Amino acid sequence: MNIFREFETNLSYHFAEILEKPIAKPCWIFLSLSHKCTYNCQMCGVVNILKGYELSLEDVKRIFDEVSGWDWDFTIVITGGEPFLRQDIFEIFNYARGLKLGIEVVSNGSLISQEIAEKIVGSGLKNIAISLDGAKEETHDFIREKGAFRKATQAVKLLSAAKKKAGFGPQISVWTTIMKENVGELFDIISLAKDMGVECLVYHPVIVAQEDMQNTSPNARFWLNDVDIEKLKPQIDKIVSYQKKNGLVAFLHDPYLWIKHFKGELTKNEWKCNPFVFTNIGPDGEVRSCGSAFGNIRKLSLQGCLNTEEAYRARKIMKNCAKPCLQTCWANPQADSLSGIVDRLINNIRKSKFDKKSKKELLSDAFSRLIYYEELLQECSI
Amino acid sequence: MLNIKEVIFSITSKCNLRCRMCDIPYARIEELTTQQWKGVIKDASRLGAQTVVFSGGEPLLREDIFELISFTRASNLNACVTSNGQLIDEPTAQKLSASGANVVNISIEGKRETHDYLRGRGSFDKAVCGLVNLRKYKVESTVASTVSKYNYKDLLYVLEVAKDCGATTVRLQPFNIIFLKDHKRKKEFLIDKWDIPFAEEAIKSFINKSKEYKVAINPAGYLLKIPEYLSGKNFYPDNCSALWYSCPINPNGDLFPCWIEGANNKLIGNIKTDSLYELWLSDKRIRMVNSIISNGCKGCLMSCYDEAFDHKLFKESVAENVKKIKKITNRRKIMNKIVQSLKCQITRLKLRYKFYVSYKGSLSAIVVRRLRSAFSRGRILKEDKQIDREFILSEISQAKRKLKKEMRGL
Repeated sequence: MNIFREFETNLSYHFAEILEKPIAKPCWIFLSLSHKCTYNCQMCGVVNILKGYELSLEDVKRIFDEVSGWDWDFTIVITGGEPFLRQDIFEIFNYARGLKLGIEVVSNGSLISQEIAEKIVGSGLKNIAISLDGAKEETHDFIREKGAFRKATQAVKLLSAAKKKAGFGPQISVWTTIMKENVGELFDIISLAKDMGVECLVYHPVIVAQEDMQNTSPNARFWLNDVDIEKLKPQIDKIVSYQKKNGLVAFLHDPYLWIKHFKGELTKNEWKCNPFVFTNIGPDGEVRSCGSAFGNIRKLSLQGCLNTEEAYRARKIMKNCAKPCLQTCWANPQADSLSGIVDRLINNIRKSKFDKKSKKELLSDAFSRLIYYEELLQECSI
Repeated sequence: MLNIKEVIFSITSKCNLRCRMCDIPYARIEELTTQQWKGVIKDASRLGAQTVVFSGGEPLLREDIFELISFTRASNLNACVTSNGQLIDEPTAQKLSASGANVVNISIEGKRETHDYLRGRGSFDKAVCGLVNLRKYKVESTVASTVSKYNYKDLLYVLEVAKDCGATTVRLQPFNIIFLKDHKRKKEFLIDKWDIPFAEEAIKSFINKSKEYKVAINPAGYLLKIPEYLSGKNFYPDNCSALWYSCPINPNGDLFPCWIEGANNKLIGNIKTDSLYELWLSDKRIRMVNSIISNGCKGCLMSCYDEAFDHKLFKESVAENVKKIKKITNRRKIMNKIVQSLKCQITRLKLRYKFYVSYKGSLSAIVVRRLRSAFSRGRILKEDKQIDREFILSEISQAKRKLKKEMRGL
């Protein structure tokens, strides 16, 4: 990412939140094609909501057409349900590839055979994520379904083999949900993943049921109690030290926040979500970030949905949300404070190998950007 | 505080509908006989009651309902029937009118689809038909609605139906858990936190429209509390007076201090063994009510104490009285009226204060609690005030300085 571009996006997220106006576009667009799934996992309630709805191929294409015109860096994440249940999934990939959009897919790996793995590698995806909830077969199978562990590992192996054979392909990553059942195995997943040829490992803490994202009650089934939190601490230490040496694990936020998250002590100063960073389009076409829907993609364009009155209202509620949920999709910590953004720019410029003149130009550009927002701030009322 | 205002009879547990928000089991219990109910009505009238509410189940399923109503009217009490409206065809409406029922209250939940979803197919048409029949035979009808996630958008429609069918009042009451034994399904009816503003808007437009249509509703202060209650918040009632003046009786004659406490199996006694007169004046009842008050209840936001939320100020009520008085020309009469209304207000305030103290502790305790809450509120406000224009501008100028310094360094 271009240094100045990064600075500009971070600034616009920062001021979009302050001014409560959609001057920034989302950088994550989650596209839930349908909620049909091959499994019925215990921590996930998505299968039970919005049954019978499905985004049609025309709708998906229309979204892609609109989004490809944006002058913005973003990623489209295709989720479900299980996206590979769709017959036209490769047509969708191809269409996105034609428009040069970055696409990621989240799957449980149950439908990935040799043939499909080769197709995926050739389809121009940026990233494919397979969910893996335990290092042991029993754990994963208990949470999901019997045979799920074998299928998921098989899928990862097939994908990495196909990628090796072709010499190119998507980044293969594994997503792990931290919950009561697997808290002792978190570190073991790393070695398992490495053996399978995974390039990126992401951990994210459980939310109780996806029907109700805000439910973080300590009585919930998969929530970590005090005993489990004690188990979590050494795991985090191990993971962090491993990450410093070898990489592989990607942290989307400081892992020590997990402890606070499970204890329920997370405050707004430590973790804040920016309502503009993330957008989800459900199988019924409703656009939302968190909470109530903004508008329907079947009636409005995506940009139109982000501009509706409902969107303003929902974002205001999000801004005042007192329960930070630490989900991987929301936050953009770099856009949290203005001084942080500026420091980041200055550091980046110092590290770069530009000559003095272009460095000075960059800084003066940044300066004028700040003046622009200052004027905007004085014109608008907060 | 020993007078009854309102007696609520659940005269039968039988019902002809199986609604979604109510799964009270329709077990066969030995219901009180006609004679026993008549005895209760007599006692209520001796205790100074004004109204008898016949509720159920579905009260019209009892064959002696008209006899009971006419007996109530004969003992100088108002009779009010709460029904689902399914059985009110023309002959029934005629009988209701002949027996002298004052008010018939019919539940309408929303648009046809919503109502039929909640209460069963075809029930909406029958309920509306019931309203129309009542108008034909000149029985005052009112509409009641249980506000839940399903129907808070339909409230305006309910108001329109009420206006078109000649109902005088629309009474709202939020969905309550005590009617649902299956606590897992409770969540189905509550609204999400982020839907509160929409529900509030729906209620506000409901209030505004009701003035236009000239349909009476619950006090606005009460209605505006509904969205928050539906999102799962409990209200500690300031001055729930229902415990003191209303008296619910079960089909088998059990007398409770209040419906909610009845669900917790707190029983004062049974009509079959003791008369209402004895039970109402018994020490047991007064002790029980006092213990409920001192232990505090969770708050139910049932419409039985909706007047408690009516924040009509003392000044306003005096002004209202003065407006009425303007029509009278005699000066002495005016003075009398004013003095009377002042006296009335003072006694009301006195009673209210007594009640308040018995409910929330002595005056000093109240003051301490109020102060503490005010301080804590101030602290929260300070934290929230982070996003302040001056603060942001200073942050920007700081950032600018940093950039300038960096430029000079080059």
